[in-house]
Amino acid sequence: MKALVEYIAKLLVDHPDQVEVHEIQSDNHVRLELSVAKDDMGRVIGKKGRVANSIRALLRVAAERDGKQATLDVTEPR
Amino acid sequence: MNEKPTLEIIAPTVEEALTQGLAQLGLPAEAVSLEVLDAGTKGLFGLGGRQVRVRLTIKSDDDDEIAAPASAPYSKAATEKSSKIQKKKKSKQKAKGSATKEKGTPAGILNLVEETVSKLLFHMNMQAQISAEYAESDREGRKTIHVDIRGEDLSGLIGRRSETLNAFQYIASLMVGKEVEQWVHLVVDVEGHRSRREDQLRRMANRLSEQVIKTGRRQVLEPMSAGERRIIHIELQEHPAVITESIGADPYRKVSIIPKDS
Repeated sequence: MKALVEYIAKLLVDHPDQVEVHEIQSDNHVRLELSVAKDDMGRVIGKKGRVANSIRALLRVAAERDGKQATLDVTEPR
Repeated sequence: MNEKPTLEIIAPTVEEALTQGLAQLGLPAEAVSLEVLDAGTKGLFGLGGRQVRVRLTIKSDDDDEIAAPASAPYSKAATEKSSKIQKKKKSKQKAKGSATKEKGTPAGILNLVEETVSKLLFHMNMQAQISAEYAESDREGRKTIHVDIRGEDLSGLIGRRSETLNAFQYIASLMVGKEVEQWVHLVVDVEGHRSRREDQLRRMANRLSEQVIKTGRRQVLEPMSAGERRIIHIELQEHPAVITESIGADPYRKVSIIPKDS
């Protein structure tokens, strides 16, 4: 799942080297935190969150296959 | 000369490898012998998955003149000199032609589409066969690329009302578009699902327009995505007695079929 988000994000942004995905597991739930360069935020979120929501939809399919739930948050770079 | 000319090809299936190899060499199947070096891992595509690796060896009666694998069908009859020139030309062409990888060329884009889609599916834990091809260009001359995904257990990829499939299509378009620096319009279909749905929508459009004519009252369809609404609009755009319009806001936007003389 982490690899999926990473793969998508890296091909959408201008600065692939700044793409980071953190995976936080708890029971059946996987929380993924995607962080990208500040000027790439728009690319992974999209208008009205369309890109992020689409990534979530794909993530959901991947998670279901593992019998899990997954959420995705896009966070500001630290 | 040295060893026999050979060409190694990596592709999803043995057949594809053979086809690709023959196309590159410009030779008929009888002119080469095929050796499967690696049978690959079944169903796994692209990244991580092992593809099939084959070696084509060019059979030749009088050996010599057919040299580098990149050189070509015609060199046989040629004298050494001209064959060398030809070889050069050919290899140049090939460098360009392995433009399969080169950005921007139609073949390059198709390849990139297939690669991107298979990697996405791989990361989603799905095994499938992918083929991409250009559709007829539409009115604005834009070229749509149709991607067909086939495999078992792919219903999860479609989702409710094709929502997941639309998301997949959107993301894949963006990824490819970013890479080639132009918007690439993809239509991704799973096991013919979209085309079945398209037929269904067309039939529904025609059935409902008959009702509209009979009753003289408008009919409002269920909410649909932009692509599905478009199919209905196009189906009825030349209808003599009804017009269509979309009402409401996404995601509940729907098509309304209206009698013309109202």
